[in-house]
Amino acid sequence: MISFSLNGRVVDTDVSPETPLLWVVRDVFKLKGSKFGCGAGLCGACTMHVDGDAVRTCILPVSDVAGQDVKTIEGLGSRENPHPLQRAWVEHNVPQCGYCQSGQLMSAAALLDQIPKPDVTEINEAMRGNICRCGTYGRIRKAIQSTALKGDGA
Amino acid sequence: MTGRLHEAPSDPFRRQVLKSIALAGGGLVATIQLSACASASALASPNDAGGLTNNALLQITPNNEIHFYLPRAEMGQGVFMGLTTLIAEELEVDPGLIKVHHASVHEAFRKPGSRIQYTGGSTSLSAHFVQLRQVAANVRESIRRAAAEILNVSASNLALQNGQVLFQGKSWPYGRFATEAAKRRLPKDVALKPANDFRVIGQDRPRLDAWDKVTSQAQFGLDVDFPGLFHAALRRCPATGGTVKSAIMDKAATAPGVLKVVQIFNGIAVVADNHWQARQAAELLEIEWNQPELATVSSPELRLEMERAMAEEDGQKAHSEGDADEALEQADRVLEATYWAPYLAHATMEPMNCTARIQDGHCDVWVGSQMPDGALGMAAHHSGLSRDDVNVHATFMGGGFGRRLSSDFVAEAVAIARASGVPVQLIWSREEDIQYDRYRPVSLVRLRAGLDREGRISAWTAKRVGPDVAAHFADDNLETIAPEFLPWGLSDWACKQGYWLFEDFIINPASVHGLFGDYDIPHQDIRHASVDPKLPIGYWRSVGHSFNAFFAESFIDELAHSANQDPLAFRLAHNGHDRRMQQVLRIVADKAGWGKAETGRFQGIAAHNAFETAVAQVVELSLEDGTIRLHKVTCAVDCGTVVNPDIVRAQMESGIIVGLTAALYGEITIDNGTVVQGNFHDYEMLRMDQAPDIEVVIVPSDSAPTGVGEPGLPPLAPALGNAMFAATGKRLRELPLSRHVKFS
Repeated sequence: MISFSLNGRVVDTDVSPETPLLWVVRDVFKLKGSKFGCGAGLCGACTMHVDGDAVRTCILPVSDVAGQDVKTIEGLGSRENPHPLQRAWVEHNVPQCGYCQSGQLMSAAALLDQIPKPDVTEINEAMRGNICRCGTYGRIRKAIQSTALKGDGA
Repeated sequence: MTGRLHEAPSDPFRRQVLKSIALAGGGLVATIQLSACASASALASPNDAGGLTNNALLQITPNNEIHFYLPRAEMGQGVFMGLTTLIAEELEVDPGLIKVHHASVHEAFRKPGSRIQYTGGSTSLSAHFVQLRQVAANVRESIRRAAAEILNVSASNLALQNGQVLFQGKSWPYGRFATEAAKRRLPKDVALKPANDFRVIGQDRPRLDAWDKVTSQAQFGLDVDFPGLFHAALRRCPATGGTVKSAIMDKAATAPGVLKVVQIFNGIAVVADNHWQARQAAELLEIEWNQPELATVSSPELRLEMERAMAEEDGQKAHSEGDADEALEQADRVLEATYWAPYLAHATMEPMNCTARIQDGHCDVWVGSQMPDGALGMAAHHSGLSRDDVNVHATFMGGGFGRRLSSDFVAEAVAIARASGVPVQLIWSREEDIQYDRYRPVSLVRLRAGLDREGRISAWTAKRVGPDVAAHFADDNLETIAPEFLPWGLSDWACKQGYWLFEDFIINPASVHGLFGDYDIPHQDIRHASVDPKLPIGYWRSVGHSFNAFFAESFIDELAHSANQDPLAFRLAHNGHDRRMQQVLRIVADKAGWGKAETGRFQGIAAHNAFETAVAQVVELSLEDGTIRLHKVTCAVDCGTVVNPDIVRAQMESGIIVGLTAALYGEITIDNGTVVQGNFHDYEMLRMDQAPDIEVVIVPSDSAPTGVGEPGLPPLAPALGNAMFAATGKRLRELPLSRHVKFS
């Protein structure tokens, strides 16, 4: 039995310990916001926070998060109570197909937690692991910058 | 366009997908006439539950909910917002008040002017621009008339504003009059608003799907879930088209969580409790394959065969004007160049997937599809049921780019559900998504042009060698969609002919479009020779334009330099017939500071018409220690009337980034029929640190709207190649460019 905190609630599971966290969250706990993109840690669609760090969960065995805090896009914010980045994403009309945006937001939120006022190089560095096939990079950059400028990223 | 009003029925046996979301609300429902031969009475009958619930475009309920059944599929291009804006404009409501639902499959949701319900060709807005406004205007007027009767006032004294009927300082919601309005015939052909009265068309507004997409509420195909759903993973022949010869399945069958191992038409599937278990167990299958013909083909030999065809075959004539041979003889100077573009995968962020349930003689399919009636036909075929017993439930798509016009993954999911006897969700791995795609076709093109003494192009010839996409698409889809658009006997015959019916029968315009037409050249000869190893190909964002624009616009640049003319001036001197193209070229040059780049910066320009839209782009880059660095892409677009300017800008940005990715990195190769690339480490995508600044200028226009989703892509590759020529003096004629130049 593996136990961890998922969006603030303690959960446990008896799946085999090498099962990637992404599939445990999606198939066992039925939170579908984190997406499968590559299965190899190359695209960032599956990004969650593990103890505050942005982590690619399609290659992270669930046993690795035993006793740790896992946050998914469902725990980041909601329409009623959004994270400032979610609001900025809407204001800048970031999403097109929208599929990668959970992972983009989780990477961006971890960045602002760690560097509240990142410069463009720091943004690019933190976000280069997240692929967007629709080409929303420029808008993501602006949304992060505007959130950082307002100083309400965390 | 005709419409009818209906009382929404309360028939409890309605089993169509719409019942649960809206139509139970009753009220006013607007449909469109099914076809010329459909009887009006069948539509009007309040008991005709099936037809009614399935073909509603717009509904206003007595409790004032406004439901719009989105007839085109949303894959990022913006129809969820754009088409809803058309409804909102004539209905006189804020777009945010309208509840938007993905439509099911029905004739009423076919693209206007088409016999198929598909989303593609950058046509959603242009095809619906009048139709949806007309539906909304008719509904609005029916509400006005019903209100006039109930309030006992003249209809002309009523104002309709933001979902409210206004009279002498009082207001009533539309829904108040929906039941009354539903009792009468829907007015037809109500006059549409003139453009200068538009309130929401032409305005920047946040996308209606944005909040759901940033708060994980948008449902994509692989988010579908319900109790009793199993998960499948499928092993196919490494070379597409092979079949199972023999297999050892014991290890997979006894792996943790595995329910069943089943064989289907193209491989062996493992069905398990969750996705990861299915995926792991599938790796334990030991399969021997009957290899397809494709397994004898590798990329180097294919290239040689294409070069042989280029040298030896005249090809079929696709387009000609004047006498190109004679004009080349007379030319002051003749230039010739051969260009190459490889196969490309779509690599949508959401890998192909489909959820299928066959139960009680009925098949339900949940899928993000650009051609849901194709998906429905495919599901009927593989479930053994009739089309009437299949429902397709649409979802958002995590990218389409043409890939989801095909229904191969629907066929697999339904076949697995049928063979296993349980509902299954099939999710492809990224490797499968890249290795079993319907690729952009490989292309070899030889261009030849003559310049006269004044440096004008007198002759232009092009010969393209490569596979034809339409033939593959027909092979893939004809038996599932043909009964809907061909007489029975003919469709049956055509299905059996498959590829070869099309091969020499017609030249697919998509193979050669973009190779000619943008410039005034008196003598032209455009030819095509098919060479096809049968690697499946399909429609890839902007189709033939995606490579032909690179060939033609790079070669135009070569001609300009040969004629010792500025590439912008050279283009303007040759497209005087095309006012829109002249304008976008002038605007992009002005915005980009064409010819005024600072020292160390180099510019390239290209322009192209695709999907009725004119786009011109300037790429600016620098060269540092032999490494190219992209700085900025400036883009001017004329796409006629703009419904949402920010979506147009976003689509241009998207076309530019996808175009850059393809130009720099995109290449699929095969080794004995097996695709070599498998994930984002060897099929690379542009990432944020490489993304240049992009500035988009939209040319104001009151013409009819034209394409937006695809036209932003084609000019990028040639503008980039032309900028690299300016920087290095080296003309790059083969994609991808990163094979020849280093990028940072």
